[in-house]
Amino acid sequence: MQSAKIRAALLASPPIILIALFVGLPVVSAVLYTFGHTGGMNSVVAQIAQHQYVADHWWGTVGAYRNVFATGSFWHSLLDTVLVTVCATALVLVLGGGVALYLRLSGGWLSKVVSLLAVVPLFIPVVIASYAILVFYAPDGFVGSVCQLLGWPDAPVLSYTMVGVTIGQVWVNLPLGVLLLSSAFTSVPDVLIDAARDAGAPMTRVIRSVLLPMSALPAVIVATFTAISVLGSFTVPFLIGPSAPNMLGPEMANTFGPFNQPQQAEVMAVVVFLLAVGAGVYYVRANFRASKRSGASR
Amino acid sequence: MTGQWARRWARWCLHATAGLGLVVFTLFVLGPLIWLILRGFAGSWTFPALLPDHWSLRWWQQVFSDSSLAGSIQLSLTFAPVVTVVSALICLPAAYAFARFEFPGRRTLLISLFATNAFPKTGLYVSIAALYYTLHLMGTFLGVVIIQLLGTVVFMTWIPAAAFAAVPRSLEEAARDVGAGAPRVFFRVTLPIVAPAILVAMILSFLSSFDEAQGTFMVGVPNYVTMPTEMYTLVLNYPEQAAAVFAILLTIPSVLLLALVRRHIMGGRLAEGFQLR
Repeated sequence: MQSAKIRAALLASPPIILIALFVGLPVVSAVLYTFGHTGGMNSVVAQIAQHQYVADHWWGTVGAYRNVFATGSFWHSLLDTVLVTVCATALVLVLGGGVALYLRLSGGWLSKVVSLLAVVPLFIPVVIASYAILVFYAPDGFVGSVCQLLGWPDAPVLSYTMVGVTIGQVWVNLPLGVLLLSSAFTSVPDVLIDAARDAGAPMTRVIRSVLLPMSALPAVIVATFTAISVLGSFTVPFLIGPSAPNMLGPEMANTFGPFNQPQQAEVMAVVVFLLAVGAGVYYVRANFRASKRSGASR
Repeated sequence: MTGQWARRWARWCLHATAGLGLVVFTLFVLGPLIWLILRGFAGSWTFPALLPDHWSLRWWQQVFSDSSLAGSIQLSLTFAPVVTVVSALICLPAAYAFARFEFPGRRTLLISLFATNAFPKTGLYVSIAALYYTLHLMGTFLGVVIIQLLGTVVFMTWIPAAAFAAVPRSLEEAARDVGAGAPRVFFRVTLPIVAPAILVAMILSFLSSFDEAQGTFMVGVPNYVTMPTEMYTLVLNYPEQAAAVFAILLTIPSVLLLALVRRHIMGGRLAEGFQLR
């Protein structure tokens, strides 16, 4: 039995080793670098970096953090990042949930078309999607043209704004929401819905008291994955958003590239990481609670 | 009588709202793509017309005659299958182990794979660059494969793991009872049941690799410029129509794959993978 366990652990190890080496190690080294540890793996980047803070205690220095936190543009970007994340996540839940409900409660060819539409973004490369959305909502794009034809030439332009970025994020993250939520709704047996209907409950009540409570865990999963993907996104805000201030993703790339301040860029990465971990903890806890419950009922 | 009218009116309103919602939804999802495709075939276009003044294939010729663009298409179609196969080789045995065996730290490890998504890619790539210089992976084929591999591990482990866990043990035991050996049971009973989930995972990995631009740009340039990396340059430097043509080309494989696996993806294979057990 002991040897079987060891064999299983060995089978499971290749992806773990890959992630440990190419994600774990770089992340640890990046965090050390933000505290001014410029040796080891960080020595190459530390040679060219500007405005670098080098450790002056055994544990390091918070100079880089102080430097980043003292700039107004960082807080502006952070606020933009959090706002876009919250709005996009809420919209994905509402829109994805709405589509999933529609798919659950109605059949026929129309719902097939809708289900196909909803997964399209999963298959379109994000670069293409972002570019297409940018052009679509541009002043000379479809939306601009329609507004012009309707006699509304001063219609607000969404390209190069944070609203446009939010639209892009919803577009990119919608399929996961629809897929997870519709699978959750499908797993609710027809018997439950019919029973509630027979007892005289109107459809709104069925949705509120039967379908929604039974899809709480998938909703948490959708929210977490959307939030984390939006927090760390680069392409969508880089292409659709304003040049500055933008979300922290492009801001990080600018700080690293054109401004040549990798230490400050990594400080921003750590801030985003902490936000993502916050969302991730929620996901893990929800999963644990759910599996404990199903374990108890077995 | 009035009650019936009111009910009919309410139903009409409901249908109208649903219809309007459907139109807006279609426009939201497909509008940008259709608009982009129109651009790719436009000879000239006067604002605010909703269609080009005349059509042209000029930009297609331009893209195909540009050797760097054609080369990037070929590179993308090389990397994506390689990454998918390597990812399957690394992750599928692990998925089986996670699903079938209880070993210390199983859940923690399963969740830790998720950490790849939590640290922002931009920050990660800055730091990976240092590691790549140390390991002499900068600008190499292997380096690009590894960078693209990182984005596939989560799908390739989670989705098949959920499928392996869902195979009824009684089926395997029944096969064993009638005398089938372990390999035969695996290939004739277990594998056919999990095959759709593995297919979904492989398609998602292919797309993720095909789509990866930021890391490939940092690690691969100037030796390996794939289609999505080229797309950044195109968007920023070329006329809009050339970018549109390139975008259409980049979307073709994805649409073919969509047609292939839509049924399995909608069937909940993907959804199951995201519920940790």
